[in-house]
Amino acid sequence: MRRTLAILVGNPLSLLGLFLVGIVIFSAVFADFIAPFPEHRGAVVDFANFNQPPAWPNIFGTDLVGRDLFSRILYAYRISLVLGVVVLSIATPIGVIVGLVAGYVGGKTEYVLMRITDVFLSIPPLVLAMAIMGVLEPTLTNGMLAVTSMWWPWYARLVYNLTRSEKEEGYVLAAEVIGASRAYIIFREILPNCVPAIITKMTLDFGFVIIIASSLSFLGLGVQPPTPDLGSMVAGGASYLPDSWWLTLFPALAILIAVFGFNLIGDALREILGADQ
Amino acid sequence: MNKFYTTLLAATMSATALGMVFPAVAIAESVLRIDEVAVGELDPAKASDYADSILMFNVYDTLILPQQGGPGQVPHLAKSWSSDGNSYTFELRDDVKFQSGNPMTAEDVVFSLDRMKALGQGLSFLFADVQSAEALGPNTVRFNLAQPYAPFVASLLRLPIVDKQTVMANLGDGEGEMKDWGQVYLSANGAGTGAYMVNAHNPQDETVMVKNGDYFIGVPDVAPHTVRLRYGLEAATVRALIASGEHDISSQWLPPEVLRALADDGAQLLTEAGTGAFYVKMNTTKAPFDDVHCRLAVTNAFDYGAAVKMIAVTDEISQGSPSTGAVPVGMFGANPADQILVRDMEAAKAHLSACAYAPEDINIELSWIAEVPLEERFALLMQANFAELGISSEIRKLPWALFTEQVSTPENTPDISQLFVNAVTGDPDTLLFGQYNSANAGTWQSPEYLKDDEVDRLLAEGRTAPTEAGRQEAYAALNARLMAIAPTIYGFDRQSVFAASNRVKVPALSDPDKAFGLDGMGFSFRLMEMTE
Amino acid sequence: MTSLVRVLLSRLLTSFIVLIGVSMLIFFIARVIPGDPARIALGPNASPEQVLVLREALRLDESIIVQYGYFIADLARGDLGISLYTNRPVTTDIAQFLPATLELVFVAGLMMIFIGLPLGILAARYRGRWIDHTVRLISLLGVSAPSFVWAVILMMTFAFILPVFPIAGRISDSYTIPVASGFLFIDTLLAGNLRAFANAGWHIILPAFALALSGIGQAARLTRANMVETYDKPYIEMARSYGFPEKRIANRYAFRPSLIPSLTIIGLDFAAMLGNAFLVEAVFAWPGLSRYGVAVILRKDLNAIVGTVLIISAAFLIVNIIVDVLIAIINPRIRHSQRPK
Repeated sequence: MRRTLAILVGNPLSLLGLFLVGIVIFSAVFADFIAPFPEHRGAVVDFANFNQPPAWPNIFGTDLVGRDLFSRILYAYRISLVLGVVVLSIATPIGVIVGLVAGYVGGKTEYVLMRITDVFLSIPPLVLAMAIMGVLEPTLTNGMLAVTSMWWPWYARLVYNLTRSEKEEGYVLAAEVIGASRAYIIFREILPNCVPAIITKMTLDFGFVIIIASSLSFLGLGVQPPTPDLGSMVAGGASYLPDSWWLTLFPALAILIAVFGFNLIGDALREILGADQ
Repeated sequence: MNKFYTTLLAATMSATALGMVFPAVAIAESVLRIDEVAVGELDPAKASDYADSILMFNVYDTLILPQQGGPGQVPHLAKSWSSDGNSYTFELRDDVKFQSGNPMTAEDVVFSLDRMKALGQGLSFLFADVQSAEALGPNTVRFNLAQPYAPFVASLLRLPIVDKQTVMANLGDGEGEMKDWGQVYLSANGAGTGAYMVNAHNPQDETVMVKNGDYFIGVPDVAPHTVRLRYGLEAATVRALIASGEHDISSQWLPPEVLRALADDGAQLLTEAGTGAFYVKMNTTKAPFDDVHCRLAVTNAFDYGAAVKMIAVTDEISQGSPSTGAVPVGMFGANPADQILVRDMEAAKAHLSACAYAPEDINIELSWIAEVPLEERFALLMQANFAELGISSEIRKLPWALFTEQVSTPENTPDISQLFVNAVTGDPDTLLFGQYNSANAGTWQSPEYLKDDEVDRLLAEGRTAPTEAGRQEAYAALNARLMAIAPTIYGFDRQSVFAASNRVKVPALSDPDKAFGLDGMGFSFRLMEMTE
Repeated sequence: MTSLVRVLLSRLLTSFIVLIGVSMLIFFIARVIPGDPARIALGPNASPEQVLVLREALRLDESIIVQYGYFIADLARGDLGISLYTNRPVTTDIAQFLPATLELVFVAGLMMIFIGLPLGILAARYRGRWIDHTVRLISLLGVSAPSFVWAVILMMTFAFILPVFPIAGRISDSYTIPVASGFLFIDTLLAGNLRAFANAGWHIILPAFALALSGIGQAARLTRANMVETYDKPYIEMARSYGFPEKRIANRYAFRPSLIPSLTIIGLDFAAMLGNAFLVEAVFAWPGLSRYGVAVILRKDLNAIVGTVLIISAAFLIVNIIVDVLIAIINPRIRHSQRPK
C-alpha cells in the first residue's frame, strides 16, 4: 500500500491526478468555508446582480437569478461526491456477490445470473438510467438508485471472469480437497484475490459515476433546483450560448477537472496493480 | 382590396419582366422560417395551443375575424350575421372555395361544429352551450344556443371551417357512421379554405406551407411564398440561426436574455399583447392554502417588481407589464393600468399571523412547467420571497403532460402551479370562466379547485349579461372578489415578444393599429411582407 | 467456416434470450409508472369517459402479465403500439428518428477507428517518447468528460468563437432532399446532389467528434497496450533479427493481433455511443431519437419508452454480433468462449 502511494506520487501525471482530486474533495468538504456566498447554494435571488460575467467578487460570474456560480460549483461537487460514494458502495457488493457466486457455483445458477447480467449490460447504460429516472420522482436518492441499478452488472462481469480463472488455481482446489465450505472458499479464498482489480475499477468508476449522474441531470432527470448540480447547470446555461458563456463553461470544466483527476489516479493504479481487464 | 392586389401583382410582374437582372424566383419563392414548441396539431377539432393556432389561422378560415386595432369582430367567411335571442344566423360568402376546389357552403359549417362537438377535444368546450347548427340554405347557417352566451360570436374565431366532402372521402377506421371523423386524415393534411396549403406536415419536426393561389381574397405578392414552421428548436440554436440569417421569427418562449442578445445584434422585436397573464395558482383544498389568510400572506409577499424586472427584454420592451388584478389591463373589468400590485411585507406578516397554520409547519410544493424554463426562476423568486416569511418550500419541475394529469385530483395537485393563461377568443369569459368556475375545477387552468358561489354567480352574469355595460360591471365585481379571496397570485400581464430577422415585416405584430388582440392571429402569413 | 456459423448461431441465440430479458425488464419498469398514462395522453381537456375508453384500449386494467403477453404478441407482428405523445405508431416514430441517430453513431464509430487506432499505433511505436505521452494525455482527457461537455466546448470553440462549423441541425435549410432512406448521406446521393452531401458531412463533423472523443481515447489506449505487449513477444524479436523493415513489423506482426481486442472495445463503445448520442443530439439540435426519447420519458409514454429502449438495445446487440463475426474472420482460432469482455 505504501509502495503504491510512493509510485503514485512519483509519477507526474498521477501526481496531477492526486492534486485535482484533492482540490475537488477539499472543495466539497470545506465548501462552507471556501465559498464566498455559501447561502447561494439554495434559493437566493438577487435580481440586481443577475447574469453577470466573471468579475470580482463573482469570479465565475452569476447565474440567471443572481447567484454566485463559483459557490454553487463548490457545493455541486459535494453532491457529486456523495452520489459517487453511495452508488459504488451499493453497486460493488451486489456485483461482486453475483459474480463470485455465478463464477464459482456454475451450472444453472451461473447461466441465470449471467444472463440477467447480460440483460442489464445490453441496454446502453445511460438509456437504462434514463428509463428508470423517467419512472421515478427526480430526487437525489432516486438518482442514486437509477445509477446503481446500471452499475452492478459491470462488477458482476469483472468478478465472474476473475473467479472463473481463480477457480482452477491450486489453492482453491486444495481448499476443496480438505472440504472447506463453498462460502469459505468464495469469500476467504477467491475474494481476496479479486480485491486489487475491484479497487482499481472503483477508482476509475468514480469518474464515470460523476459522468453518468451529470448526464442524467443534463437531460433533466436528476437533482432538482435549487440544489446545485453540474449537469443541470450546463443544460440550463446552454440555452444562453454564446452570450452568457460562463453559465455553461465553468460547470463543464468543473466536471472535466474532477473526472480527469479520478481517471489519472485510476490509470496509474491500473498499471501498478496490473489489473488491466 | 382584391383589385388592388391584382394591380400590384401585375405591376410587380411587369417590373420583373422588364428588368431581368433581378432573379424573379427571389420574390416568387420567398421562404419564411419560424419556430414553435412541439407538437403542431393540424386537426381543427384538437388544436389548442399557440403552434396549433398558427396552423389554424393560415390553413383554415373562420366565419369572422377580430377587428384589427380595436375590439369586436369583422366578417370573413360570413358576409353578415344577426342574433335573435339564443340563435345566431350567418350569411356566408358564395365565392369561397376550399383548397380542394370544393365550394364552401353552410353544410361545411354545420359539419365543422358537429365534428368539434363529437370529438370533444381541443377548444370544443367553447361550444358547450351550442345545441346545434343547421343549414337554412346553401349560404345560410343558424346556430342554436341552449342559453344566453354573450361571447358566442367571439368563440367562432376558434371554429375553423373544414371541407366536409374531402373529409368524408377520407374517413379512417372507426365505429359508427362517421367512423373516425377523418381524424387520421386531418392530423396529417389540411382541408380548409386558408391562404396557405399544407405541403408537408410532421408534428414533431416541421410543417411546410405554401401560398394558396386561389385564396378568396387573394394573397399579396410580398407575402411569403413558402413558410416553414419548425418545432422544438433550442434557444441557442434559434439565437444562432437568426444571427446568421437562417431563421426569421423566433417563438415567444425564448428567455428574455436571448431576446435581448438578438436585439443587440440587430434583430427586430415583435410583440403581441393583451389577452393573457401569468398566474401563480394555489391549491385551495389543501393546507396551508385552504386558509385565505395564508393565501393573502403569500400574495402580499410576492415581489411583483422583481417579477417584471426579470422579464424585461430591453428598456422599452418587456415580456409583460405590471399586474393590476385578476383581469389583464385592457379587458372588461380590469383595474386602471396605474393601480399596480406591489409587495407589502407588513400586510403579509399580518395575514400570516391570522392564518391557522404556523409558518414553521408549512412546507410548500412549488411546481414549474418543464417546458418553460423561465418558470424555474419564478419558483426561485417565490422560494426566496416566502422564506422571508419563515415559510419553507420545495421546487419541483413538472413536464406539461404530467402536470395536466396531476391536477385531475386535488390531492395530487401541487400547492403552487405557475401558468400562462390566455383568453383564447380575446373575451374575458374565455380567460376567467375556465379558471375559476367551480364546475371546471381540476383542469390544467384551474388547479386552485376554487369553490366560491360569489365567483360562480359573477362569472355566469358576465357571460349572459345582455349589454356591454352589464358585462363590464360583472367582471369588475368579479375582479374585486378574486382579489379578496386570493386563490391566485396575479403575477403580471403577459406580452409575447418575438425576435425576427429584418427579412420580414409583420404589421400585425409591430403596429398597434394592425394588431388583432387574439393570440396567434398576428402570424397570418398573408399579411406579412418579405423584404428580400 | 463451420466454426464461423457456430459462433454466429450461438451469438444469435444468446442475443435473442437477452433481448427477451430486456423487453421484460423495460416493460415492467415502464408499467410501475405512477400516474395514469391514459389521462396524460389525452391532455388537459379530456373527459373521464374518454380516459376510461383509452384505458380499456390500452388494456391498462389487465394484470401486468397479461399486458406483457399482448405486448409480445403485438411485437411478433412488428407492432410496438401507438405513441400517446405523437398519436402515431411507435414504429413510425422510431423509423423517422433512428436514421439520424445511427448516422451520427456510425460516423463517430468511423472516427474512433480512423483516429483512435493510428494514434495508438503511433504511441506504441514511439513508446516513452513525447508522442506516447501526448496520446496518453489526450485519451485520458477524452474519457474524462461526458460527451455533452465536449459537445458544448466544441460548439463554443468551433461554431461560435471560430465559426467554421454549423451550430445545429443535419443540413442547411436551403437543401430540400426527398426522404428515401432517412440516412442523409444516402438520400443526398440518391438525389444526385453532391453539394448537399458535402453540406451534410460538414454538419455531422462536430457532433460526431464530440460523441467519438471518449471512444477515440479508449481505442488508442487499447491499441497501444496490445501492440506494446506483442512487441515484447519472441516472434517480433525474431522478425527484427531477420532484418525485416520496422514498418512491416509494425503492420503485420504487431498491429494485426492487437486489432482483435480493439474491435471488441469498439463494439462495447457502440453501446455507450447510442446512449451518449442523446446528450450530443440535445446540444446540437440533432433531429435523432434523443428529443423523442427524452420527450416520451418525461411524458410517461409507455409504448414509446419500451419501443425506444428495445430498438436501441437491439441495435447494440446486432453490432456486437457483427464484431464477434469480424473477430472470428480475422482470427479463426478465437473461439467465442474466449472473447474478452
